[in-house]
Amino acid sequence: MFPHSTILGPLFWIIMGALFVFMFYGAKIWFEDLSIKMNKRKWILVFVFFLILYGSIGGGFTLIGENEHRAGYYFMGIGGVVSIILGVGIWRYLLSSRTK
Amino acid sequence: MKKEKKTPDLNRRDFLKLGGLASAGISLAGIAGAGLAAGKDTDSYTGWERYTHGDGQFFNRKPFEVDQAPTIKKVAESRRINAAEQLFYRLRIAMPFMRGIKPQSEMPKELVDFYKEHPNDVEDMKAAFKAGQEQRKNWEKYKDRYIIADAWSEAHSKSMRDFPKRPVGKPEESDFKNVNPDTVKFKSPKHASGLMKKIAHSFGATLVGFCKLNPDFVYQGRLRGVGTTKFDVPEHWKNCIVVASPHEWDGLYANPTYGTSYDAYARECVIAGKLEIFLRHLGYSARAHVPGNSYDLAVVPIAIEAGLGELGRNSVVITPELGSNARLAVVTTDLDLEPDKPIDIGVKEFCEKCKICADQCPSGSISFDNKPTKVIRGYKRWYTEDTRCFGVWNSVAASHARGCRICIAVCPYSRKNNWIHTIAREVDPRDPTGIFSSALLAMQKGLFEYPEKAEEYLPPPNGNNKTYHNAPDWLKTEEWCDVDIDW
Repeated sequence: MFPHSTILGPLFWIIMGALFVFMFYGAKIWFEDLSIKMNKRKWILVFVFFLILYGSIGGGFTLIGENEHRAGYYFMGIGGVVSIILGVGIWRYLLSSRTK
Repeated sequence: MKKEKKTPDLNRRDFLKLGGLASAGISLAGIAGAGLAAGKDTDSYTGWERYTHGDGQFFNRKPFEVDQAPTIKKVAESRRINAAEQLFYRLRIAMPFMRGIKPQSEMPKELVDFYKEHPNDVEDMKAAFKAGQEQRKNWEKYKDRYIIADAWSEAHSKSMRDFPKRPVGKPEESDFKNVNPDTVKFKSPKHASGLMKKIAHSFGATLVGFCKLNPDFVYQGRLRGVGTTKFDVPEHWKNCIVVASPHEWDGLYANPTYGTSYDAYARECVIAGKLEIFLRHLGYSARAHVPGNSYDLAVVPIAIEAGLGELGRNSVVITPELGSNARLAVVTTDLDLEPDKPIDIGVKEFCEKCKICADQCPSGSISFDNKPTKVIRGYKRWYTEDTRCFGVWNSVAASHARGCRICIAVCPYSRKNNWIHTIAREVDPRDPTGIFSSALLAMQKGLFEYPEKAEEYLPPPNGNNKTYHNAPDWLKTEEWCDVDIDW
């Protein structure tokens, strides 16, 4: 985010790391409250979903940053559609495995 | 009655749940910002990093080393390159006949022989000269728009005229000029190679490689310092040090009108010239072969043998780090060096299916064949019609013949060193199925923007002076100078 800064660059990624921890911890609580019993396989699926979503956004903006605007928008568009389909699919799968 | 103090509804679990959601949103925005910064970051301009040794930019060639370079295969009896087969030498000797200054009957035999073998080249050459005359006539029209780009190019061009000093006399004399008589002995060729790599990087080279000199790639019929002559390859031209550096990336993407060949050429001259001095100071012969046309050998196949990259459809070396954006110089020396090996990173297969450079070439000089079909001096390889190519770079809106470089800019390998392109360049050569490269190519063709017709790069009436990408602000005259915008 701050490539030419000695301090802000590392600081940015420390904060991002903390946000990711907060995000996944929050997700764990959501799943518990929704009676979704998570296991390793389900967590991998959730992780893949986030990877594709973040990869699409990050990749799209990287292309925009290097003046490939059209490629950036398409990249985010395609990645976004894949993320939505995958997200809905994973969500339905998680809900179907709820403990009564 | 005392009013009961209401406790907030938000308990610890709710806080973590809402905080998690908020974190997801903020981190998503953070990733977008980080991506944008990665795309804009000038530290991703391979070869232009803050540190000349640029550790972050190198590709590990070891797993891809092969004995025979796949893109330049010897399939028949080979021979050296006649000087007239080299475009720039041919231009010089053909000029008086093309301009009608001398009668065709006085054409030297080497040129007559060349045109007998390449009859179409005569017309291409005439057209190129005519285009050049038009170009210089039109410059007044385009001067306001491109004067900063032109000045930038000229600064590079003029600075490379006097260094390194051009050889005078036979190589047995000129290559040993100022050589230290107390030759410094190296522990081993490996030590010599290790040091020369470090030194070349410190002089500004992005890529460095070594190979034995293959005599097939040495010109015949013209020798710098001597002139027109038949000569045997000098014995002291034992090893080659090949150096490569890129064009400034913003200028490259704004080709053909805003970019220049001379920025990378000037760097190559400085790097190779310094290497020449360094080697002689240690007691070894050295001769720098540098751009624009101060060569006694063909640098592209030598760079391939030194493992810098593979030959692309556009007839330039495609390197893993710089793609096609790699300009070359060679230093021949008698210092014993440990040679590098050629590499196979799948460029051959990629170029066979890509064809973007051929589609985008405004001169139509790049082959559309599915595979290389021509055998040139014993080697099967891609071939570019160089005179037709010259016809275009002698006509784009510039003050004089300054090059085109569209095939370098549009090559999908010519991408910067950021995470998204690094994933592509690391995964593709490791995928034996070719599925990954096909997917990349589909994305390249489907998502990225190119002019509909290659002629758009040309000036009117055939085109509209289109550039591949928009010019950076620092090359736009209207950003800095008081000019009337009529474009």
